[in-house]
Parts: sequence; C-alpha cells; structure tokens
Amino acid sequence: MLADEIAALLPRMRRFARALTFHREDADDLVQIAMERALGRSEQWEPGTRLDSWIFRIIKNAWIDEVRSRTRRAELFAPEEEGEHVGDDTAQAHQQRLAIQKAISLLSEEHRLVVGLVLVDGLPYKEAADVLEIPIGTLTSRLARAREALQQLLADSTPRTR
Amino acid sequence: MTYSDETLMAYADGELEPAERAAIEQAMQADPAIAEAVARHRALRQDIAAAFAGILDEPVPARLQAPAAAPVAPVVSLDAARAARKTAPAPAPAPAPAPARRRWSWPEWGALAAMLMVGVLVGKVVPQGGQPAIAGNGNQVVAQGELASALDRQVGGRDAGAVRVGVSFAARDGGYCRSFVMGASAGLACREGGQWRIPVLAEAGQQAEGAYRQAGTELPPAVLDAIDARIAGKPLDAAAEEAARARGWKGGR
Repeated sequence: MLADEIAALLPRMRRFARALTFHREDADDLVQIAMERALGRSEQWEPGTRLDSWIFRIIKNAWIDEVRSRTRRAELFAPEEEGEHVGDDTAQAHQQRLAIQKAISLLSEEHRLVVGLVLVDGLPYKEAADVLEIPIGTLTSRLARAREALQQLLADSTPRTR
Repeated sequence: MTYSDETLMAYADGELEPAERAAIEQAMQADPAIAEAVARHRALRQDIAAAFAGILDEPVPARLQAPAAAPVAPVVSLDAARAARKTAPAPAPAPAPAPARRRWSWPEWGALAAMLMVGVLVGKVVPQGGQPAIAGNGNQVVAQGELASALDRQVGGRDAGAVRVGVSFAARDGGYCRSFVMGASAGLACREGGQWRIPVLAEAGQQAEGAYRQAGTELPPAVLDAIDARIAGKPLDAAAEEAARARGWKGGR
C-alpha cells in the first residue's frame, strides 16, 4: 500500500524537514502537512518513478507555502526545544552538530533545499534536480555556491563565543 | 590541467563518469591543491551527514504515524498544548491547504483601530443575559463581569466555562498580561491600575480551522502579535502564575 511505503520514508522526511526548518516541531508540522497532502493526492504519484523524490517535492512545496510564515512565531515560543536529543554523544560532537545545523539555517532557502537533498539526505544530483524541478546544471552550480556559503559560515563560527 | 570547483565537488560526491573520475584521481596525485579541495568537499559532506544522522534513529512521533481524523483539542496554554502533543496523537487536519495567513502588526493600528475593532466584536463577548464582559472607560477598554473574574482567578490553560484564560506573562512595562478566549473572540488583557485593560480583541478560531494548529495558534495573529510586542522573557510557568495570582496581579517581576 502506498501509505505504508510513505510511512517507511518518515525518518528521511523528518531529517530533510529538519534541514529546512531547524526547529523540531516546525519540521514535524511540515512532515505532517506533506503526509496529508501526499495521501490526499496519491493518485498523482506515477508508479515506476521514485516515491522519495515525489514526497520530497511535496515537502518542499509545503514548506514554501505554509511553514515558512510561521517560523518567526515558533522561535518565540519554542526556543528550548532546539538541541534536544543530545543523547550521550560528547559535548564537542554536539557542539559541532549544532554549529552545522545552525549554519544551514542561515543559508538562503534555495541553498538550504539543495543542501538538504544532496548533503543531508544523500540524493544523487539527478534526483535532487528532479525534486526541485530544475536542470542538473543549475542544481550543480547552486550546490557549489551553497557549499561555499556554508564553509564561510562555519569558518566564521569556529571561534565560538556563545 | 585545472578543474573547476564544481567538477571537484561532483567528484567528491561520486557524480562523475569513470573517465573523468580517473582523470581527477591522476590530477590529485600530481597537485596537492586539487587533493585538498576534494578533501574539503568530502569533509563537509561527511560532517553534514553526521550532524543529521541521529534524526533517523529518533522515534517517529505518533501524530505522524497515524494521520487519521481526531478531534482537535481546544488548548490555549502553550504548555498544555505541548504536553498534549507529547502524550496524545495530535489532531489530523484536513488535507486542504490552509488559507494564507493574514499578517499585520497590531501596535501599528493604534488606539483608534482598537476602539473600532472592539466596537465590532463587543457584541460577541456579551454573555447571554449577563453583564457585558468589556466596557469602555475613557479611551480604554477594560474587562468586567465574568471576564474580569476569570482573569483574576482562572488557572491558565484550563478549560473552565465561557472564558478560557491562556498564557500569562510579565510584560516589558512590568505589569502582567493574560490571553483569553471568550466565545468567538480572543484577546489580551493587561493589568493596569487595578483593572484588566484590553489592548487587543479579535475574532478567534477561524484561522486555525481544520489544518494544523501548533501551540498558540488558536489565538488569532493580532493577539499573537500583541503578545510578541509586550512579552518580557517567557510565559509564566504554573508556579509563577500562581504566585502572581496570589499577589492580585500586582507588579511584574
């Protein structure tokens, strides 16, 4: 059943959404919206094409449509939720993870999308271009610029004073 | 032979054809700068993957696993909303895209708009057969009757009768404010001179309909904006709220 196949993608959907929104609750809201849209228009998925690309495209569109407008408010009300799931990794690994997530959250939306698809999820360029509905050449140059911006942000944050 | 950064990136990402790949591997041996550039691309990719890897192992929240119809719990309190979200499968909205949110900033509307808005809504906060819940007092609007006593006494986030009080917080000017929902209206009340002054009152409930409510969105944007504009720090927790109530909502922190 399609619903089961989509449910199997939930961990990846959540991870991709976190690359887009940074805040856990916003990300899960986004995933929930995307789930509902996907299930509500499952007849639009063409069997034989990649289900993950289709779902990621729905997440992307949902993000652009809805969640973006709410982020500011969520920052007011849910600041303590960032940095949950600290688990038992070392403080340094945790710091690094936060620094990277933070840096990604500072990227432009276009750049966050390519980073989320290629570097966070690990999609091949072709699939990522497909999700974003752009030519592969555009995807490649956008990804190169996003990486540059990210390197810059991370370099700036290295002498961390927080 | 020089290669563009894009090509080296594509190599690091495993995106090149075998022939090109072999050429770059040769170039890396000949030129340490090329090897370094590739290593940088690889390291960034690995660091990013590692930063997000843990999310795959997190338990998927129940609300995402079962997107079935469930009643929407009427919550005003942010804490209650979050607590509910942690224990129960959350509301599953209709698949229709939510209407675009109206965004405007309350303070810019000024006092005149406040009076007009209250004028429009005032009929809706008159309980049947009871005393009006708000009254004009000079150029201010203040709570009275049932609303005033709920603001005085009600514990935030608890559903109790016609008025539901939501978040309470200390405002930047030092006084206390509390949000409330009453009938078709929602507003913010701030303690001033022994009264609950109402700087904003708006129509409640429509915008969160069906789709997707997150903590606090039961309050209309105008009220949320008014909270944004005033709040000092975070909303009061239960203990702080109790203490403020015990002091008759006099003075902030």
